[in-house]
Formats: sequence, C-alpha cells, structure tokens
Amino acid sequence: MKRLILFSLLAVIVSPALASAGEDGAAILKNRCASCHDLKGPAPQTIRELWKRDAPDLFYAGNKFRREWLVEWLQKPVRIRPAGVNYLRNINSTPPKSQKGKAGRKFDVLWGEVLRPLKHVKLNRAEAEAAADALMDLRPHYELVAGKKLDSKVKVTLDSGELLIDKVYGCLSCHQIEPGYGGYTGPELYTAGARLQPEFLLSYIDRPKNWDPKIWMPNMHVKPDDLQKIVHYLILLSKEDFDASN
Amino acid sequence: MRPTKMMFAAGLLMFLAAPALHAEEAFLNYKQYCMQCHGMHGKGDGVNVPAMNILPRDHSDNKYMMSRTNTEIYKAIKFGGPAVSKSVKMPPWDDVFTEDEIRQLVGHIRTLCCEQELVRGVNFR
Repeated sequence: MKRLILFSLLAVIVSPALASAGEDGAAILKNRCASCHDLKGPAPQTIRELWKRDAPDLFYAGNKFRREWLVEWLQKPVRIRPAGVNYLRNINSTPPKSQKGKAGRKFDVLWGEVLRPLKHVKLNRAEAEAAADALMDLRPHYELVAGKKLDSKVKVTLDSGELLIDKVYGCLSCHQIEPGYGGYTGPELYTAGARLQPEFLLSYIDRPKNWDPKIWMPNMHVKPDDLQKIVHYLILLSKEDFDASN
Repeated sequence: MRPTKMMFAAGLLMFLAAPALHAEEAFLNYKQYCMQCHGMHGKGDGVNVPAMNILPRDHSDNKYMMSRTNTEIYKAIKFGGPAVSKSVKMPPWDDVFTEDEIRQLVGHIRTLCCEQELVRGVNFR
C-alpha cells in the first residue's frame, strides 16, 4: 500500500515535468505565448486596433530577432520598452507634488504597471531553445529585408554615432542609449544591436510603417549612408558593458 | 411637408456630424502620435520631455500660437521642425498622416490654443 502511494505521488510530481520536456517549440508558442502575443498577423491597421495590443507582435519574429538573444531573454525576461508596449496606458498627467520640472514646468510621468518589474513567462534552457527555433521559423516579411545588407566598410565611433542619434535625427527623444538616458516611449537602443538582426534594423528605421502601419515612430527619411552608420553604431553600442559604468 | 422636414433634418445632421467625425479622427491621431512629447493636455509637457534639450511647443499657449499661421503649423507637422526653422526633435510626419489628416490636426491644435478666436471667426490664414 505504501509503495502504491509513493508511486502515485511520484507520478503526479514527475509527469508535468516530462510533459513540458516533451513539448516542442510550436506547442510552447501556442500554449504560453499566444494569449498575449500575436503569432499570426497581420499588424494592427487602425489606431483602435493598435490600442488593443497587449504585447509585441511576434508573427515576424524570424525576420526580427537574433536567435541567441531570444534564448537568453526567454530565460531571464526584462522590460525592453520603458513605457510599455502601449505608452498611452502607462502615462499620467498629474505628476506628484514633489516633482520639479524643467524651467519650473511639470510634465507627464510613467505610471502603473511599467513601474514594477516585467511579468513574463520564464522558460528553462531547453524550452527557450525550442521556442526560439519555433520563433525563428516565423518569416512572413522576407520581401522587406531582401535587399538590405550591412556595409562592412562603414566605420563609426560611439561619439559620431551618438551625434547622429541625438542631434541629427533626434532619436534620443523617445529611445534610451544607456539605462536612464533618453526618452521612454520607444524600446531601449542599447540592446538593439544584440537583439535585432541588422537587416531588420535597416528596413525598420528606413520605413517603420512597412512593419507596423500605425506605430508612433515617424519615418525620419534617414539618408542611406547615415542608416548604415546608425546600424553600425547600434551594434557597437550593444557591446558596451553598461553594468560596469554604474 | 414631412419628407421636406426629413430631408432638412438629414441635411442638418450631415452638416453637424461630418466635422465631429473629423474631430474625433484628429483627436485619435493627436493622442497616438503627439501626446508622447506634447503632453496629454497639449501643454508641451509629455512623458519624454525629461530626455529633451529643447522643449516641445505648448499648444495651449494662446499668445505664441496666435503668432503662427495655419500654413506654418501644417508645414511643421508635415516636414518637421527644420522646415519652419525649429528643432529636429519635431520629426516629419508626412509618411504617417494623409493630407486630410494633417489639415484636421491643424484644426485640432487650433481648438487647443485659440478657442475664443475660433468662435469669433478669426482668419488664421
């Protein structure tokens, strides 16, 4: 009798672990990601549809992400967009009384969910590898990255890149180039080079609308030479160690 | 008599509802694209402001906004700050909005800054 109880207990404990070990990437995506992420497309076509989005679209993940980054991130998920996926849900126009604004003015503040650490499913190493493989198979936008190629002859330094990002195109207003330095409504740029494929960066900066028709990132009409420099800069920037300087 | 009344009512409804629909579109666009820098009430106090070395325009500043023509506001939205000798921090939105949407946005900005002048029927050029 005791043995029977022991075995049944063991079965109860072990079987979910076995089941999850047997789960392949596509099943992980379907069971754990699809409730928040859009895995099928197309991207939201109107502003109201966009406001319903709870998490970044993943249906073109294979065109977008670097696999090695996905594997690491899925094991240790952290926030990438300081103001959340939809910034309008996470801002408040009544700042605390203690806040002193620039030139005596007060400004809108981040509020709510984004002030707490990101809640996201965590995967173990094997699951992350499987999920990343499944994500890398989602490549519907081949035509958008087809002609794009990173020019290896372009040379750029951290200083000249920052000049482009800050003074020439003003990206810094919405994006951060180091933790806490830059705006909030766009995703952080200091991990972009490690996170995204260079071809995707070239294509997305060139015309964000192609990927996400109603996104709040403008088309800055970046010149082809500057585009190459910016992408080189982002890759260079992602190799910096930001923990060391703090 | 009755059909005439109906037609009159329908005509009136169209006359009243069409600008209202446009106003809603313009407000949606303003909310989605402009509020990140110009603020939730258009006072130039958006959430991104702490990161900026040049402050966004306060759209409720009646005195300044009355010194600008509609054409200048249209140009600033369509071609960005440099087109009206302002900062690059105001990006060009020509790829995002259609011509009509930009015109409606100019109208929306006028309701933020110059409501009294709108009621009085001032020509903004």
